[in-house]
Amino acid sequence: MTGTSPTLEAWKRFKRDRAAVVCLVLFIGYAVVALLAQGVELWDGPPFRYELTLHEIGLPFIEGATPPSSEHWLAWLGTTAQGKSVLVRTFHGTKVAFVVGMFGAGLSVLIGTTLGLLAGYFGKWVDELVVYTYSTVASIPYLLLMLALAFIVRQGPVAEIYRGLPFADYLSIGLFNIVFVVGMTSWVTLCRLVRAEVKKVRNLDYIQAARALGLGHPRILFRHVLPNVMHLVLINFSLTFVRAIKSEVILTFLGVGVDREPSWGQMIAGAKSELMQGIWWPLLVSGLALFLLTLSVNIVADALRDALDPRLKNG
Amino acid sequence: MTRFLLRRIAYAVPVLLGVALITLFLFHIAGGDPVAIKLGKNPDPAEVEALRQELGLYDSFARQYVEFIRQTVTFDYGRSWADDTPVREIFRRGLFPTLSVSVPGFLIGVFLAIAVSLLVAVVRGSLLDRTVTALAVAGISISSLVYILLGQWLLADQWKWFPVWGFSYGPGAVVFVALPILIWVALSVGTDVRYFRTVILEEIGQDYVRTARAKGLSETRVMVAHVLRNSLIPIVTRMTIAVPFLITGSFLLEIFFGIPGLGSTLFTAIQNSDLPVVKAFTMVGAVLYVFFNIVADLLYAVVDPRIRLE
Repeated sequence: MTGTSPTLEAWKRFKRDRAAVVCLVLFIGYAVVALLAQGVELWDGPPFRYELTLHEIGLPFIEGATPPSSEHWLAWLGTTAQGKSVLVRTFHGTKVAFVVGMFGAGLSVLIGTTLGLLAGYFGKWVDELVVYTYSTVASIPYLLLMLALAFIVRQGPVAEIYRGLPFADYLSIGLFNIVFVVGMTSWVTLCRLVRAEVKKVRNLDYIQAARALGLGHPRILFRHVLPNVMHLVLINFSLTFVRAIKSEVILTFLGVGVDREPSWGQMIAGAKSELMQGIWWPLLVSGLALFLLTLSVNIVADALRDALDPRLKNG
Repeated sequence: MTRFLLRRIAYAVPVLLGVALITLFLFHIAGGDPVAIKLGKNPDPAEVEALRQELGLYDSFARQYVEFIRQTVTFDYGRSWADDTPVREIFRRGLFPTLSVSVPGFLIGVFLAIAVSLLVAVVRGSLLDRTVTALAVAGISISSLVYILLGQWLLADQWKWFPVWGFSYGPGAVVFVALPILIWVALSVGTDVRYFRTVILEEIGQDYVRTARAKGLSETRVMVAHVLRNSLIPIVTRMTIAVPFLITGSFLLEIFFGIPGLGSTLFTAIQNSDLPVVKAFTMVGAVLYVFFNIVADLLYAVVDPRIRLE
């Protein structure tokens, strides 16, 4: 075969998995909706439509909680216990899910890859320090680590510093909180994998050759070592993306997550009292929105693993 | 083997010291004011002062750290700041409720997952295999909160099959833990099936399986005596590593179903800045985690003679 590369080969293998391709398209669809939601928010400005009840928007005939109805497009998916549009809230929740997923997984992958690369490449005391760090972090009960980190962002000095940052207006502290918690608690798995892989790659001839040519460590690390672990990074990114979206639900339910804007977590957590009043549609719609996104990423992640790491392929 | 054990145990010490340091450090920046929680909103300033002295809040960080280590070594964390109960008593009380959900949930989940994955691995590629694999990936894509909310609402609130909330010590607990156990199984079985199926398929692809078949062994014998036996190595390791999490339990299930276990206790303690309880739980969790990781490595070496510990 001419004109082919490992990436192209992997893409060809990926394309053969039709379910994965459908899921990739679905994922891109979600991403477009998330961008649209961000756009609408910037265009509309406060007071945001998702904060208003349909009554306030000027639809007096829709009062309180309404099941899905065809009377007006805002009520297509029903209204919440407070009379707010489920459709609009779910739409904006997509944006929250993407911010949390992308930045949370991004932070986690950044920490895990950097530490793993350094540990595997330099060895010696750097390696020992990294191994010690992740052994210690992994030994702390997850609930404690998660809640303590969440509290730190919310009320500690971190909150003060955060408010001064240039992007604080765009990324509310509740969202940053989830990104921070996911980033700080999910990097260990990838760090272990990257470290082990780099240890293998480090002694290969072409790395030795690069060193003999007098290339600097940063160049060797980024140009020659990093590409060898990119498949691990990509797979781990998608799995952490899922984890971040699921964590948003738990953290928001516990009262340390998203608070100033609607999110799927808020809608799901809110269902605890809504269900008792027989209002099931906000849970159904938000739960389904989360399910389809998570499912598509999980399936894409599986296909990525099969396509990028043929050694692991089985069945 | 002895050298390996000694080295692992020696390594556990700095890890646990690190856990203690991080816990105390996190508490110092994130913890609320335990005095305010204990004395209410408008306390007498003299009383506040006396209590702060008593709780050791004015001690230096180093001194609090040394005290923490001392408490860990003697396993005596004193009394809870919230209600003066000895921490040991809190632990003893919460253990049964937690284990009555987590142990059955874990065992049922694992055995169900092993059975299912063995079955689908035999008929890999068939419609049954594809259906189960699809269900498993769908199952792990649902938020755990949705499982709990729907389970509680539908099975307990609407259909009245189970009580919605509560717990009873002794055999009466069965009624209250049945639904949480069911949800525990639903939450874990998808992940387990996916993992076990991969493990079993990896074994099926090995040369010795072909040899066993070539010898004329029956498919059942090949699967049970050869494939399952070898797959048990990673399966048992995974189960061993999960043991510490059975003791901390699922705090979400405990909160939702009013089970007075260790998970919901830790959650309340964190919210109330109840440092003695938080310290005890963290260290017990960390010691168990480290311990069972060493056990898993040992088991690996015991069942697989090719692995040599160094």
